[in-house]
Amino acid sequence: MSLPTVADPLEPAGATVGSGPPEEATRRSVGADLFRSVARNKKALVGLGLLLVFAVLAIIPGQIAPDNPRAKIYPPGLGPSAHHIFGTTAYGEDVFSQLIFGTRQSLLIALLVGGLATVIAVVVGVSAGYLGGTTDGILSLITDVILVIPIFPLIIVIAAYERNSGLFTLVIVLGVLGWSYGARQLRSQTLSLRTRDFLEAARVRGERKSYVIVHEILPTMTSLILASFLGAALYAVLFAAGLQFIGLGDPNSQSWGTMLYWAENNEALGAGMPYWAIMPGVCVALLGAAFALMNYAFDEISSPALRLRKLERKGVDTDGAEVVESRPADPKNILEVRNLSVSYASAAGPVVAVDDVSFELAKGEFLGVVGESACGKSTLVYAIARLLGAPLAGEITNGQVLFKGQDMVTLSDKQLRHIRWRDYSVVMQSAMNALNPVLTVAAQMRDACEAHSTMTKRQIEERSKEVLRLVSIDPVHLHSYPHQLSGGMRQRAMIAMALLFTPELIVMDEPTSALDVVGQRSLMVQIKELQEQLGFAVIFVTHDMSLVRHFSDRLLVMYAAQVAELGRTRQLFEKPLHPYTSGLLEAFPSIHGPKEHLLGIPGSPPDLLRPPAGCRFAPRCPHAFARCEAERPQLLEVDGELVRCFLHEPATVQEPAKEGVA
Amino acid sequence: MRFVARRLGFFLVTLWAAVTLNFLIPRLMPGNAAIAMMSRYKGRLNPNALHALEIAFGVNAHQSLVHAYFTYLGNILTGHFGTSLTFFPDTVAHQVLQALPWTLALVGTTTIIAFVLGTAIGLVSAWRRGTVLDGALPPLFVITSAFPYFWLALLAIWLFSIKLGWFPESGGYDVTTTVGWNWTFFTDAVNHSLLPALTIVVTAIGGWILTMRNNTITVLTEDYVRMARAKGLKPHRIMWNYAGRNAILPNLVGFAMSLGFVVGGAILVEFVFNYPGVGWMFLQSVENQDYALMQALFLLITVAVLIAILAADVATAILDPRTRERG
Repeated sequence: MSLPTVADPLEPAGATVGSGPPEEATRRSVGADLFRSVARNKKALVGLGLLLVFAVLAIIPGQIAPDNPRAKIYPPGLGPSAHHIFGTTAYGEDVFSQLIFGTRQSLLIALLVGGLATVIAVVVGVSAGYLGGTTDGILSLITDVILVIPIFPLIIVIAAYERNSGLFTLVIVLGVLGWSYGARQLRSQTLSLRTRDFLEAARVRGERKSYVIVHEILPTMTSLILASFLGAALYAVLFAAGLQFIGLGDPNSQSWGTMLYWAENNEALGAGMPYWAIMPGVCVALLGAAFALMNYAFDEISSPALRLRKLERKGVDTDGAEVVESRPADPKNILEVRNLSVSYASAAGPVVAVDDVSFELAKGEFLGVVGESACGKSTLVYAIARLLGAPLAGEITNGQVLFKGQDMVTLSDKQLRHIRWRDYSVVMQSAMNALNPVLTVAAQMRDACEAHSTMTKRQIEERSKEVLRLVSIDPVHLHSYPHQLSGGMRQRAMIAMALLFTPELIVMDEPTSALDVVGQRSLMVQIKELQEQLGFAVIFVTHDMSLVRHFSDRLLVMYAAQVAELGRTRQLFEKPLHPYTSGLLEAFPSIHGPKEHLLGIPGSPPDLLRPPAGCRFAPRCPHAFARCEAERPQLLEVDGELVRCFLHEPATVQEPAKEGVA
Repeated sequence: MRFVARRLGFFLVTLWAAVTLNFLIPRLMPGNAAIAMMSRYKGRLNPNALHALEIAFGVNAHQSLVHAYFTYLGNILTGHFGTSLTFFPDTVAHQVLQALPWTLALVGTTTIIAFVLGTAIGLVSAWRRGTVLDGALPPLFVITSAFPYFWLALLAIWLFSIKLGWFPESGGYDVTTTVGWNWTFFTDAVNHSLLPALTIVVTAIGGWILTMRNNTITVLTEDYVRMARAKGLKPHRIMWNYAGRNAILPNLVGFAMSLGFVVGGAILVEFVFNYPGVGWMFLQSVENQDYALMQALFLLITVAVLIAILAADVATAILDPRTRERG
């Protein structure tokens, strides 16, 4: 029939299938990605800058310091002056020079201890996580034991027997005792990697365990290993300074800790020479801060949730008219959505996830919202419910959501709070995640009731039991915690919760997808029965069209943030207008219909950061022609339905569609 | 039940490891620090006590290591920690009991204050994500968490005691007051503890703020927080019951451990302030090469951590219903 469409030249390389194993690409870019992230993070840059300054001081102290730090050639106890910025010591040495020469030892201890502790942490943590079984048991026990043994007192005990210990002993002791925290983190990270595809693949290829660890696991944990190194280095700087301060180090060594020791010994504070004590401490604090800042920055880099992005509104490019009609809502509609657009902030600029969507929902109507993943279905319904926010950190940039005639977009959080749950409620995809794990079902029903009514405790209990009975759950489960219920029961309990105030609208985001086919079916029947009994309207999001076939009045098909088709369910199934709708219908088997070959849709939805210039479905459409790639189609009204496709333009309908022009 | 058994097993293994370390360290270290100590005891102790010390430090060469080890274990189990050189002829156990209340009062209170305050600030900071407060706090506390706390103590003494004269410079109480349960002594002790308390809180709070903030930010992306918003709950209710209750769980073990570290945790602060607690006594024993006292204190510090961890397990089980049934 038609030729496969040519990949968009603007698409990033590697998005196409078959351009070498994807792991190769990710692995090579780990270093580059990390570098870019560090360059963008202010905390990391400040930390790195500080560290570089100290590194220079440590490498060439002789060129920078004005004096020999050990030359007792000046009058003792001088105050700050042009010659001696921080004065002289009790023995007539220049404090500033001592500080500069002291850098080397502190930095050396930090790097050596950090390195030693990290090597042990990596070996122990990764082997424990990857090998599992008894090895894991033993290594984890050792790790936990070392983690809870008080390290600083232990080091003091060791140092008490081995007085005036040199640098070497200090590094070994600190390194051997300071790896356990990093090992624990690396172990859990390895455990979570173990079941990933690329490791399975390596195992199937028959790679040796050591090879897998070095070439497959370690590169993915670069940030964590660095964080472990920085944490150990920070602790080494502080502990070493502390030990030297109380005199458990070589009192003749050239270090900040030793300077603090002599300051304390010569009663710097009482003698009015605070510089002796303040300046070495400042140096320790600055070096420590350098490690701590970088450590924190790596934390931010490796967990995206910690980064905050602001949406730049002027970069938002939505399709269609930005004008919203001001006519009042039709009283027979519970909900009217007009020109609704939602955008997300991303590293590469704003992404329009819902683009100019309009529809109406009559009282008691059941509307299905269908489409593949990442087509904006969930964003649409959460925008309507005014529940955007991390992880769906979108913002409504345009449009109206008229709920019972009132525009929800302009309501404040406080105003919204009063209509939430009373007038409309929400049922989410996974009750396991949507129910608070540390509160009982009863407590979670109670706080909703307390927020919106003056019901007594007894009335709340009665009402909670009543809604549980509505969804066929025995009320004995009311005082259970979510994890004590089965998957199906949890899902029903969440629906029960949504019914507490018998709202006029319930928004359901794939409420059955966590269940098996039988469970899905029975839950759908129940939802429909409840709807008929209680009369609420439903917006039901699903990627499975066949699921809502017998339950929804109308269907809204979304593709790449836009409405592709909107019409009555029966008509959509019998005579789909949009090629995407046809593709979706062919992707799912019909339980009752004749045996058909499942076709599905080749390819995947476009990257919303760079949607195709013309029709968004054109690259995957079997009927695409020249105009589809050049022009954006608008929604057309055909037989009372809406469809976004050039095939149905009056002019095009006359002549047969040209095929395969690319 | 299996959970309880496993935690008890861990408790015993760690206790055994600490006791064994205590036994091995004097034997592994080069030099003859212990022998030097023994010679100082000669003639001052009765032969039985001397013998116990010989076993504890491995001075007596004509006894097999294994035999010595079990004798030592027996002594520890029956609470015979030996005799302190510094406070001769007082027993180690009695001395430790004298110092313990001081440390528990000072470091215990400040650790709890730092945790409660830090957790609350971290929670609020995450809740007000993107505000000036949240923008300024994390970098500030990342930096203060890198401060050497004994140095901060020195600065505090210099500024508040020497320069401004607001607080006493050192010690736990004025030597002229009578130690006991009377008002003068109590206020005096509190007055002496304020400055050390301040330095401990300032250095300890940063860690709690940062971990609680990051935990909360992760928890705020959970569906149950969105669900709580959907239910129209009041913001403070969502913050405490949904975000806070869940975000605090990973911090409980850390808090328990820091409670355990209370006993030996602020060694250097006690040292700087000459505060008559366990940490100060620990360093005194090091200074005086009073190894019996030193090792007894080390064991005490370790046991305190272990007990605190057991307490954390209990607290987690109460606050997180999922752990109750896992074992």
